Amino acid sequence: MAVPVVVPQDLWEEDLPGIVSAWLFEDGDPVKEGDLIAELMVEKTSYDLTAPKAGRLKILVQPEVPFQRGDVVAQLE
Amino acid sequence: MTPSQEQRRWMYRTMLLSRRFEEAIAAAYFEGKQPAFNMANGPIPGEMHLSNGQEPCAVGVCAHLDEGDFVTATHRPHHIAIAKGVDLKAMAAEIFGKQTGLSGGRGGHMHLFDAKVNFSCAGIIAEGMGPAVGAAAAFRQRGEKRVAVSFIGEGAANQGAFHEALNLAAVWQAPVVFVIEDNAWGISVAKKDSTSVTDNALRAAAYGMPGHRVTGNDPLKIFDVAGAAITRARAGQGPTLIEIETYRLEGHFIGDAEGYRAEGEVVGLKAKDPIAVLRQLLLQEGTIDVAADVRIQAEAQSAVAEAIAAARAAPFPAAQAAFEQVFA
Amino acid sequence: MNAPLNRTKRNLTIAKAMAEAIAEEMRRDPSVLVLGEDIGKLGGVFGNTRGLYEEFGAARVKDTPISETAFIGAAVGMACVGMKPVVELMFVDFFGVCMDAIYNLAAKNCYFSGGQSPVPMVLMTSVGGGYGDAGQHSQCLYGTFAHLPGLKVVVPSNAYDAKGLMLSAIRDPNPVVYMFHKALQGMGWLGTVKGAINDVPEDEYLVPIGKAAIARSGKDVTLVGLGATVHHALDAAAELAKDGVEAEVIDLRSLVPLDRETVLASVRKTGRLVVADDDYQSFGVSGEIIALASEAAFPQLKAAPRRVAFPDIPIPFSPALERPLLPDAAKIAAAARATLGKA
Repeated sequence: MAVPVVVPQDLWEEDLPGIVSAWLFEDGDPVKEGDLIAELMVEKTSYDLTAPKAGRLKILVQPEVPFQRGDVVAQLE
Repeated sequence: MTPSQEQRRWMYRTMLLSRRFEEAIAAAYFEGKQPAFNMANGPIPGEMHLSNGQEPCAVGVCAHLDEGDFVTATHRPHHIAIAKGVDLKAMAAEIFGKQTGLSGGRGGHMHLFDAKVNFSCAGIIAEGMGPAVGAAAAFRQRGEKRVAVSFIGEGAANQGAFHEALNLAAVWQAPVVFVIEDNAWGISVAKKDSTSVTDNALRAAAYGMPGHRVTGNDPLKIFDVAGAAITRARAGQGPTLIEIETYRLEGHFIGDAEGYRAEGEVVGLKAKDPIAVLRQLLLQEGTIDVAADVRIQAEAQSAVAEAIAAARAAPFPAAQAAFEQVFA
Repeated sequence: MNAPLNRTKRNLTIAKAMAEAIAEEMRRDPSVLVLGEDIGKLGGVFGNTRGLYEEFGAARVKDTPISETAFIGAAVGMACVGMKPVVELMFVDFFGVCMDAIYNLAAKNCYFSGGQSPVPMVLMTSVGGGYGDAGQHSQCLYGTFAHLPGLKVVVPSNAYDAKGLMLSAIRDPNPVVYMFHKALQGMGWLGTVKGAINDVPEDEYLVPIGKAAIARSGKDVTLVGLGATVHHALDAAAELAKDGVEAEVIDLRSLVPLDRETVLASVRKTGRLVVADDDYQSFGVSGEIIALASEAAFPQLKAAPRRVAFPDIPIPFSPALERPLLPDAAKIAAAARATLGKA
C-alpha cells in the first residue's frame, strides 16, 4: 500500500511555501525508513525530509515547484 | 612577586649567556663582510637582529615558565630562546646553517623552533600572537595548566593581528600573556611617530583584559608583573597584556647605521646596561659574591664558545636535504 | 530500470557529506575541533557543519569573531600543541585578510622546524561563482593556493569524494586546504549540480589525497577538470559521444600532491588534452596541466592542448557579463573538437 510522504506541519513556523531543492533519490529508487530523501528549502533555509517507511520512491513534486506545509510531495510504494 | 635568590642567579646567568652568545654571533657575522658588507657573505648570511639590552624581558617572563608552556617570539629571538631553554648548540648550529641545527639549516636565525621546550619564533610582525592564543585555548580546553606567552615588539601593536588576537584571547578567556618589548624603535621609526598612545598597555582596556606597563628595563619588576599575569592565566582568569620599557643596544639589524637615533642615545643606554645593573644589585645584596660572579661569567663564556665551535665544526646539510620536511 | 529493494544506497549533498565526515572524526578523535565564522549554531553558511554544534557543543565547535587573521593563526597554534583543528575560511576570497597565517605559518612551520612541528589542520573554504555574487565572493583561487609549497590542496567534485577527502584531510599530519565549490554544495539557494549528489557510505572510507579519478573512460581526448568543471566535462563527453568521440574525463580531486601519473597516462593514450578550470586562466591549474603534458608526453601529443578557463579579469556581477565567461560543456566540447580537427 502506498504511503504518502507529507511535509510535516511543524517543519517550519511561518506560513510560507517551500520547494524541494534536491531529491536525493531517483524516482523509483528503493529507500529505507529514515533515509534522508530530499532537502527542502524555505526562503534561504534548508530542511531535511526523511522517509516515513521503506518503499519505492514515487516523486510527486519536482524540484523548484512550490508546495505548502502538510502537502504530499511523494509516495512510498 | 619577588624572585628568590636562586631565581635571581638564574636571571643573571641567563642574561649573561644571551649577551655572550650574541657577541659571539656578531663577531662571526662580520667575518667575510668586511670591508665590503655583503649580507650573503660569511659564515652567517642574511639579516641578524640582536637583542642586546632586551635580556630583562626574556628572563623576567621566562622565569615563570617551564618546558610545557608555549612561547612565540619575534625576528629578534635569541634572548627569549635562551631563557626558554632552547638547546644552545642546536640554536648556534641553526644560525650557521648547519645540519645539526634545530631544523637542519632550513629556518635560520628568524625561524628557530625547539618543540621540546615549545619555543618558536617567526619573521613577520605580530605573527606569533594568533598561534599563542590557539595553543592557550587548547590547553584550557584540555584542562591543562599550561600557558602561552607571545612576545612582540611595540611596532606590532599597530598590526591588525595584534588587535584580533587580543580580542580573540579575551573572548575565549585563553591562558595567554602578551608581552610587548617596547624598545622605542620600529627599525627607524620612533614609537611616538607610529603609535597613537604612549602606553600600549592602555589598549588592553579595549579588549576587557588587564594591561600593565613596566618601566626601567628592570628584570625584577618584570618578574613581578609577569608572574602575576602568568599566575592569573594558569588559574583560568584569562589573558593579560604587558608592555615593557626596554632598549636595544644595537641597530635594528647588524649593519644598521642608526642615523635615526639622537646623538649620544646609545652611549646613554650602554651606561645603564641591565646586566651591569643586576650584577651590581646581586653583589650588593649578597646573592652572589665576586668569586661566584667570576665563575658565572666564565661558565657563560665557555658554554657559548663550545656552542659556536660546535656549530663551526658541524657539516653543512646535503643540498638534497632542502627537499625534505616540506611535509610531515 | 529500478534497483532491487535491498540495495543500500544513500545519496547525500557535499554539505552533508562534509558534516558527516567531520562528525565521524570528532567521535573517533577528541583532538579534532571545528572553528570559524557561523559554523556553530548556524551550521555553516554552506551547511557543512550542520549538526556538529548540537552533538559536540561550543567547546569543540567554536564560532569565532570575524577575525580570520587571529583564528586561523590560532588554529596553527592549536595544531602545534596536538589538536587537529578544522577551520573554515567562509569564502576563499577572504584570504587576503589572513594569508600570513596560512602561507607563512601553516605552510612553513613543518619545514622551518625541520619536521619538529608539523601542522595537522584542515582549512576548508568555499569557492566558485556563477550566482551573481561578483568578484569578492566568486573566485576559485585554486592556483593561488596550489602554488605555495607546504600546503596540500584538495577539491571534491561530489559527495562521495567530499567525505573521503575530508576524512583523509583531518588525518593528514599536514595542513590541507579543502576547497568546496558552491555550485556543488547542495545548498538550494545556490542551485546544485545534480551529479555532485551521490551515494555516500555511512562507514568510514578514505579517498587518498594525491589521487585523481577517471570519471569517464575514453580513448580519443582527455578532458581534465576539478570541482565544478568535472561536471561540465562529463556533460561535454556525453555530447561528444553523440558524434562518436570517446572522451576520457579526469577529476583531479587533489592539486597538491598532483596525480601526474593519471593525467599523463590518459594523455599518452588519447594524445589530446583539454583542461577546464573556472579559476583564472593565466599562471594557474590549466597552464600547469598543459605544461605537464608538454614536458612529459610531448611525443604522444597529436594536437596542441587547449584550455577553457575564466579570463584574466575580476569576476563581474551582472549575469550578462559573468555567465558567458564561465567554462561550460559547450566550450569544453568545442575545445575537444578543435583538438580533433573538427572545429
